[in-house]
Amino acid sequence: HPTRSRPPSTDADPRRWHSRLSAILPSLATGCHPVRPRRQIRAATPTRPRSSSRASADLRGRRPSLAMINFVLLISRQGKVRLTKWYSPYTQKERTKVIRELSGLILTRGPKLCNFVEWRGYKVVYRRYASLYFCMCIDADDNELEVLEIIHHFVEILDRYFGSVCELDLIFNFHKAYYVLDEILISGELQESSKKNVARLIAAQDSLVEAAKE
Amino acid sequence: QDSVERIVEDAAMDLSLNPFSSGTRLRDMIRAIRASKTAAEERAVVRRECAAIRAAISDNDQDYRHRNMAKLMFIHMLGYPTHFGQMECLKLIAASGFPEKRIGYLGLTLLLDERQEVLMLVTNSLKQDLNHSNQFIVGLALCALGNICSAEMARDLAPEVERLLQTRDPNTKKKAALCSIRIVRKVPDLAENFMGSAASLLKEKHHGVLISVVQLCTELCKASREALEYLRKHSVEGLVRILRDVSNSSYAPEYDIAGITDPFLHIRVLRLMRTLGQGDADCSEHVNDILAQVATKTESNKNAGNAILYECVETIMGIEATSGLRVLAINILGRFLSNRDNNIRYVALNMLMKAMAVDTLAVQRHRVTILECVKDADVSIRKRALELVYLLVNDTNVKPLTKELVDYLEVSDDDFKEDLTAKICSIVEKFSQDKLWYLDQMFKVLTLTGNFVKDDVWHALIVLISNAPELQGYSVRSLYKALQASGTQESLVRVAVWCIGEYGEMLVNNISMLDVEEPITVTESDAVDALELALKRYSVDFPGDVTKLSEDTSNCCAE
Repeated sequence: HPTRSRPPSTDADPRRWHSRLSAILPSLATGCHPVRPRRQIRAATPTRPRSSSRASADLRGRRPSLAMINFVLLISRQGKVRLTKWYSPYTQKERTKVIRELSGLILTRGPKLCNFVEWRGYKVVYRRYASLYFCMCIDADDNELEVLEIIHHFVEILDRYFGSVCELDLIFNFHKAYYVLDEILISGELQESSKKNVARLIAAQDSLVEAAKE
Repeated sequence: QDSVERIVEDAAMDLSLNPFSSGTRLRDMIRAIRASKTAAEERAVVRRECAAIRAAISDNDQDYRHRNMAKLMFIHMLGYPTHFGQMECLKLIAASGFPEKRIGYLGLTLLLDERQEVLMLVTNSLKQDLNHSNQFIVGLALCALGNICSAEMARDLAPEVERLLQTRDPNTKKKAALCSIRIVRKVPDLAENFMGSAASLLKEKHHGVLISVVQLCTELCKASREALEYLRKHSVEGLVRILRDVSNSSYAPEYDIAGITDPFLHIRVLRLMRTLGQGDADCSEHVNDILAQVATKTESNKNAGNAILYECVETIMGIEATSGLRVLAINILGRFLSNRDNNIRYVALNMLMKAMAVDTLAVQRHRVTILECVKDADVSIRKRALELVYLLVNDTNVKPLTKELVDYLEVSDDDFKEDLTAKICSIVEKFSQDKLWYLDQMFKVLTLTGNFVKDDVWHALIVLISNAPELQGYSVRSLYKALQASGTQESLVRVAVWCIGEYGEMLVNNISMLDVEEPITVTESDAVDALELALKRYSVDFPGDVTKLSEDTSNCCAE
């Protein structure tokens, strides 16, 4: 190979070269001085088993959630909202944004994928029943498999109540669907594990309403 | 046929609408909205309905209050503003009949949220209803309070709710327990007020009450140290009994899910045991046996069983468990990891992350399976697996692991490339004592996905090269080759251009070659051409005279 004597290494040369280079390539100039000691890029600390205190976590700037289930969302295949229940404070504007984001995330997931999406530091558990997606948003350290059962619990109770429930039932009798939900969850927590009890309680209240009409 | 029906319906509706009518029925409004073909049409329907509702509200119309509230809720669900209806909720709640209260309370929790001042006005009605003789009305109030109360309301009404915990009706009791959860979340100071009742309620038989009370206990432990200690002393044996009874219970149709009696109760108790046993050897010892029983006995062919096992493993790993119990837990993990069900594998990866703190070696054994999960078709699984891989990296396995990840980088989806790039860069940086290996990995990543490499990462690379004179020749030659092969990644171009500009003479003269290198022939004009091409491609970011730079480069090389 062609041999050439190495250039005399004076301090002047690199500096002159650098300043010219920096002028032409300003983006390189930032934070790129060779004499500065190597910057330590802090590696992410491994996650320790999370403490059971949910209140302390600030997941990506969001306020700490108040409930196991932060909200319940029922959306159709076309992204139409059939039911929403919020157990954590979200403004009207935030709610619209959340619905739009989640619809985009969930409706595009293939059928063979798992029933959990990670979103903004939370987890959203969802399951599709016919034309409806039932979604429940939980914290990152909650039991997703249990929430799947809660969703199924809700669906079975709706089914029993409406008699083979379909989307139209939930559209035209949405307020009744809410009454059912209110017998299953309060403050984002499960209230009753017996489907029979829930049905009985709803029926009793419906009778009260019927009786009042006379 | 569907559209003919609609036309007929519309016509009928138009006929029925007249300035003196009370407006449409709920179902007709819903039909009209669904029949709208454009957003503008829908808005028109909504506007018409809102106008009618507003008129009815200002006229203090009693007859259609119920229907109007229902309409308002539907309209609200579509995303339209419904503030004008908030006072109607209050009026309905203040009415004496159950039907009015029922829809009024529902409206309250749907149309308002805890931040609205209007909510405070309900406090009085709530107080009255919490003392109502009709248990269903009490239930409505508890439900509303539990879903929506503010801290102030929580303070005001806590005594009522406390009292209701002692009522006879289990339906009311369970609602009171859940309502108490919200109160304690809003005002943690009140936790001590509830701990006595909560502990004694664990003797209840009603499952609804039990799951609510167990959840309340968990919440109390989080809110107050004193409550935690109290419950540790007074509830552990009761909990063990509850779990044992439900686990041993014979078929109970009312609570059966997939052959297991009340999985929800199982899970809640397991969770409370975790809270109580965390950092407490005594408590942990008490629950050891029942945890072993649940871990070995629970069927894992259906989701309900797996949900219980999941919680059980979490609890074992969260408390001061015996090594035998930990082995049980890790075995369950292993089984989950090789389950074909995506949900179970996802959950297994989660569990493994927690298991890292408890038994790193056991988790390392599953390294190969975890690496496979990084390439899974499901993005949720890929993300979890990647996090886990990052935790698994150590001095012994870092090179093969990184190789796997970098190989996968080439073929992975674009939306995953960013995460993967960040993780690889993190790993490589952490183990960069072997500078040559670090450089090789960084050059590969820059070539493959340089656009996703963060600025501080490639800045650090440049700093390292500057401070490692023995590797500068190697760096400039490798980068030059990378640039020739594929100059599409901007970060690669930046680093390469800097390097060539800085050490151009090493490139041209094959200075300080390493053993592993083959000599390459690069002339000055080759180097300058490469720079010019790169600069032209990214000219928008690189203001300045290209010819000047190339002159400088020639000068530098010539010196």
